[in-house]
Amino acid sequence: MNAFGWYPIFFREMLLFRRKLLRLGYLFSAMVVPIIYLIAFGFGLGRNVRIQETDYLSFLIPGLVAMSSMNNSYTWIASAFNLNRLYFKTFQVFVQAPISPSSIMVGEVLAGMVKGLFASSLIIVAGFLTSPHFSLTPIFITTLLLNCFLFANLGVITGMLAKSHEDTATYSNFFIMPMAFFSGTFFPVDKVPQLIKPIIYLMPLTHTNIVIRKAAMDQEGLISFAVLIICSIAFFVYGSRLIKNYTE
Amino acid sequence: MIEVKDLTKSYGNIRAVQDVSFEIRKGEVFGLLGPNGAGKTTIIKMLTTLSRPDAGRCMIDGFHVVEEPFEIKKRIGIVPQENNLDRELTAYENLLIYGMLHRVRDMKGEIRSALRMVDLWDRKDSLVSSFSGGMQRRLLLSRALLTVPSVLFLDEPSIGLDPQIRRQMWNVIRKTRIDGRTVVITTHYIEEAEALCDRVGILSKGKLIALDSPKNLKAMVGEYTAEFINNDGRLIQQVCRRREDALEMARGRDDGVTIRRSNLEDVFIKLTGERIE
Repeated sequence: MNAFGWYPIFFREMLLFRRKLLRLGYLFSAMVVPIIYLIAFGFGLGRNVRIQETDYLSFLIPGLVAMSSMNNSYTWIASAFNLNRLYFKTFQVFVQAPISPSSIMVGEVLAGMVKGLFASSLIIVAGFLTSPHFSLTPIFITTLLLNCFLFANLGVITGMLAKSHEDTATYSNFFIMPMAFFSGTFFPVDKVPQLIKPIIYLMPLTHTNIVIRKAAMDQEGLISFAVLIICSIAFFVYGSRLIKNYTE
Repeated sequence: MIEVKDLTKSYGNIRAVQDVSFEIRKGEVFGLLGPNGAGKTTIIKMLTTLSRPDAGRCMIDGFHVVEEPFEIKKRIGIVPQENNLDRELTAYENLLIYGMLHRVRDMKGEIRSALRMVDLWDRKDSLVSSFSGGMQRRLLLSRALLTVPSVLFLDEPSIGLDPQIRRQMWNVIRKTRIDGRTVVITTHYIEEAEALCDRVGILSKGKLIALDSPKNLKAMVGEYTAEFINNDGRLIQQVCRRREDALEMARGRDDGVTIRRSNLEDVFIKLTGERIE
């Protein structure tokens, strides 16, 4: 067994990513949605709003970082993985190579994390420029990394399960889009009606948003952190299993 | 070297491969010939660990394909029917990643010789998306040879290529067997099977209906074929054991009778009543 079997998969993704980065459209598309939210909600609607004893912008930016890292870690991997499996057939090259299914998983997930971190770093820069209270704490960075890892795993799972490229958009509409809006990115989850709260707490991004805003870990933060770790492990194991059982 | 026993695979209600058995000797060029949908690609996918058989057993170099896939993957090179190159990467990068996946030792040297073998060294830094179909097929072949595999699987290696490029491809395939490599080819081109294969297995509707050398297969059904158009305007091909029998058949027909050597398509028609298309 090759312990570094994941590296060629990661290296390939980075070669492709580097080429995409050189195109203006890629940079713009990674930035445009969170920047729109930042302007519309942060500077527009939220100018006179205070949440959790802080100005709205300071509340919003960590949420946008979480949302952006989720979107980019998940979407790029889900879409590329699905296309590679169903249309370009490059996935065959991986499964026919003498490496383990978990190596394929690790390589793809790390690549997804890089994409998620890249997009969220743009929001972090915007945060430093616009919010005087914004800072990067160890809890913030750890949660961000964990969030990227979790959603990149989910991206692989979607890429493996989706029966067509259109299906990946359907998964996104059902799971990712509601998470972006209801998981505490724009407003605290305690403002959500009691009836749908259990559903909100089933969404991993809710727990990311809880932990990423903590200045210091408390019981609530630890529980949410544990949920993120459990979800990440479960998604990684399930994704590896899907790759292992892949057959044409 | 390769042993296939009672191999079966279904997709839903469709039996793609039914109880297929054959053996391939070391250093042999073995062809699977049949029309589209005969089960050729399904067999290749099962032998190369991409597809799991419903029943039966495949062994390569003494390793079980389903139970020891790692050992199999180390020993095989594959040219798939569908192009699975990374089009947004260069030829060199495609081979580099493949070489890393297969832990090729002298990476630069092996990539250089693999690309030179198919005359693509000068285009190593070009994106694959800028390559013609023929160049991409050649690159697929050089990628498969990069790991110096003991068995090379070629699934319709010259599909979609014009005749001149196809012959270039055949020359490269002929070179690959110089060092005693076993080659398994699927094709629906009669000429390709006859030009390259030591033995040919003929597949029809998922079943192996004949297996022998092209020469023996033709001898089995008759070495001469008389071709003519009958009164209904249909092309009739009559296989005969001797040239004299074919001439006898042609007697009395002065409207364009052709007598020629039989080919593997005549064998297929004789055995199944259908054409390879």
